[in-house]
Amino acid sequence: MEKLDRLGWAAAVSFVSYGLRIGVRANTPEVMDQILELLPPGTKPARGPRVQLLYSVVAGGTKPRTRIRRFNMLYADAARIVRTTVWERVRDTLEMDLQLYVAENARRRVFVHAGVVGWRGRAIVIPGRSLSGKTTLVRALVEAGGTFRSDEYAVLDSRGQVHPYVATMSVRDSTGGHVEKIHPETLGWPIGVKPLPVGLVVVTSHRSGARWRPRQLSAGRAVMELLAHTVSARQQPERALATLRLAISNAMVIKGVRGEAEEIAAALLSRAADRAPSISTADSGRRAAAM
Amino acid sequence: MDPASTLMPAARTDELVVEELPDETLVYDLKRHKAHCLNRTSSLVWQHCDGQTTTAQMAEMLEEKLGLPRDEQIVGLALDRLRRAKLLADGTYAPGDEMSYSRRELVRKLAVVGGLTMLLPVITSLRSPLAAQTGSSVTDAQCKQCIGVGLPCSDRPGKSCIQHPQSGNCRCG
Repeated sequence: MEKLDRLGWAAAVSFVSYGLRIGVRANTPEVMDQILELLPPGTKPARGPRVQLLYSVVAGGTKPRTRIRRFNMLYADAARIVRTTVWERVRDTLEMDLQLYVAENARRRVFVHAGVVGWRGRAIVIPGRSLSGKTTLVRALVEAGGTFRSDEYAVLDSRGQVHPYVATMSVRDSTGGHVEKIHPETLGWPIGVKPLPVGLVVVTSHRSGARWRPRQLSAGRAVMELLAHTVSARQQPERALATLRLAISNAMVIKGVRGEAEEIAAALLSRAADRAPSISTADSGRRAAAM
Repeated sequence: MDPASTLMPAARTDELVVEELPDETLVYDLKRHKAHCLNRTSSLVWQHCDGQTTTAQMAEMLEEKLGLPRDEQIVGLALDRLRRAKLLADGTYAPGDEMSYSRRELVRKLAVVGGLTMLLPVITSLRSPLAAQTGSSVTDAQCKQCIGVGLPCSDRPGKSCIQHPQSGNCRCG
């Protein structure tokens, strides 16, 4: 770490994200603007330079008067986590590592890898890893009338309520290859702002032509399904279990294989509505400027 | 007296996190990072594994509380599942001929009694995921098909799925 500290750093920033103090420094000021766009939602500037985790970004660039490209490098504290001539790999790795660190270590929140849509005062939570089709289902639910809350994490508090996590989405093509980064606001989606109790959890995967015939899970099996996608499951299992248990205490949890997302969106909203209180303003979100 | 009826198994208590639900019990094994969901029958048997209750007494208890036939084979099935899940204290129970059972035979018995197969002891288990395995990542196999280029490889911490610019082949590197 001392060796890293001795390098010339042109720019640095420290911030607080979900109770964690994190710093990022870079050897050129130009890359800092890009880095600031990668910070998790809800991040605030930190007072003071002391941090729990420090990222160091070394932008290689091109050697002057040559076409030789220098390596770009990314360190998390003293550990080098990527070394590459492709700048985008450093940027993407920083974004993912930062996101994962926050999700695993956040104070007072439990992060479940899931999409979340609001509907009539309740949250519909769709747990799943990347490439499981949850973004497609989130999109279908929003287009059927729901409010967007997250494409990445269901962020649960100690009462089991889900907080919005609105970040740029990575939308992949049908092969899982080409990625397009889109912010939900640019799509004109309504964005939820307040925490909501969970009304429905949908455990599903896509199979072309599949008929949607979900079965309801018991409370215990429901917690297990969510635990499989909980980032801090190993780090803080006691808190994870207690929070998940609270989260599903008034929710219906269903599991099944689905066909096309648009075919089941209306049915899911209807199920979620069965669990909803009378319509409240809790789910009124700020409308995107484009609308 | 049947030797099996005098067995008095004990539940393991160290390094476990337990969450009681109305009809189930969730158990997290801190040593092995495994989570288990015990259905009602398994939960009741485990709760009575106090080193003082015999399997015969457990069978009686299941009959009283759940309406199951008084049959130590049902208790034996639950204990075997608890043992495999490492939820019994070492040395307090080992399967022997006295507790031998056939699950198929039990299912047949309970179905005849009136659709009680739902009450067969069940334990669902999962290995708790590492943080990197929960989200935006791909397996080695997915990467080799060039699915998820750019995502971290869950099977190889620290590596990402990369595509060779010339050949187009993908690997975790």
